[in-house]
Amino acid sequence: MAKSIVRGTAIRGVFSAVPSRRFDNFTDATGFTEDEVRKVVGMAGVKSRRMAGDSVCSSDLCQAAAEALLEKTGWEADSVDALIMVTQSPDYLLPSTACVLQTKLGLPTTCAAFDVGLGCSGYAYGLYLGALMLSGGGLKRALVLHGETPARFADESDRSVSLLFGDAGSATALEAVDPAGTTPWSFVLHTDGSGYQDLIIPGGGFRERFPEERRRYCVSMNGPNIFNFSIKRVPPVIQDTLDLAGLNKDDVDYYILHQSNQFIMRHLSKKMGIPETKVPLTLEDFGNTGGPSVPLTLVRGELTRPSDRSLKLMLVGYGVGLSWGAALVDLGPEAILGHVEYENRS
Amino acid sequence: MAKSSSEILAWVAEVFETPAEKIRPETRRDEIDAWDSLGILALMAKMDEDFHILLTDEEIQRLNSVRDICDVLREHDVKIDP
Repeated sequence: MAKSIVRGTAIRGVFSAVPSRRFDNFTDATGFTEDEVRKVVGMAGVKSRRMAGDSVCSSDLCQAAAEALLEKTGWEADSVDALIMVTQSPDYLLPSTACVLQTKLGLPTTCAAFDVGLGCSGYAYGLYLGALMLSGGGLKRALVLHGETPARFADESDRSVSLLFGDAGSATALEAVDPAGTTPWSFVLHTDGSGYQDLIIPGGGFRERFPEERRRYCVSMNGPNIFNFSIKRVPPVIQDTLDLAGLNKDDVDYYILHQSNQFIMRHLSKKMGIPETKVPLTLEDFGNTGGPSVPLTLVRGELTRPSDRSLKLMLVGYGVGLSWGAALVDLGPEAILGHVEYENRS
Repeated sequence: MAKSSSEILAWVAEVFETPAEKIRPETRRDEIDAWDSLGILALMAKMDEDFHILLTDEEIQRLNSVRDICDVLREHDVKIDP
């Protein structure tokens, strides 16, 4: 069973990045009546979204976030030992986007860099891998980048996904520290591939190389199945992570959930008996940005941060795969959080 | 769990935010405006919240009338008194 405690890692900073182009669901959406938009917005909670457009990739957003992060943390690029890029919207089928970003960010050639192909659950997995690499010894600093451009792979005429998706990138700076002085992090990571077709882009990969129908290159979602999956899987993975850490649900300051859909998130909070004040929402302004919605909400979720102690955060991703996972981590008062906008050029 | 038939009809009316007098066992899905793709999610959420029932994909496909909803509830051991 994939349950793990990792010692000796600290978050030095988290930056998020979104495109500057804002799409207002009420005023910019076409093909919907006002009532339809109002109904979808009421349910999903998405009033506006940030759109990458045709020329901006998740790597561009992650690069912007990472450059700001390196600057604000004072990290020299050549001090980074590992780069993990978590994305399902890569620049190319090959090479790995992490390799492209290694050179764009000016990281040393002595740096390990690789992609992780996970979506909604990706942040917990990325942090786990980063923490594991640092705790293994030898490596001192790692960047975990997580970016997606779901609005680019959604067919806006498909009502199960339209008005929902936005684009975002993020960068998280992890550093190896003395395990004696820090609280261990707890991770629980799970998979149920039997639902792989419930959230899928069927075309463009090697299973279906060049489909004629354009829609095959866009995401298709079975909403009811994803809803069922979410309410069945999220509460237990949170409880399992609390149990692993020996904590109660009240010990956690914030539950930062993947921003899937306001309706689902409120249902989950209620089901788990977690006050809504502990479950920040950023859907209203950014939409569902896939897995990067977790670091985006960490940065933009208006968390109250005491100056004298770390925040205990339950970071939870769930969705495409189907894959889900939780990371219970500490965010120290010295960790730098920031947000940047990436200027759309076209 | 036991519920009266009228309680279940009132519950369905609440799920779909529809006037109670419009909900009868024979009322079809296409007669309830709010019973669309979003309405199905609302129904699934209330099934979970009030009866601890997670509907399967097959069950969802079978739901075409209020009577079908009652049948699914019965299959999950919700007793509906006449």
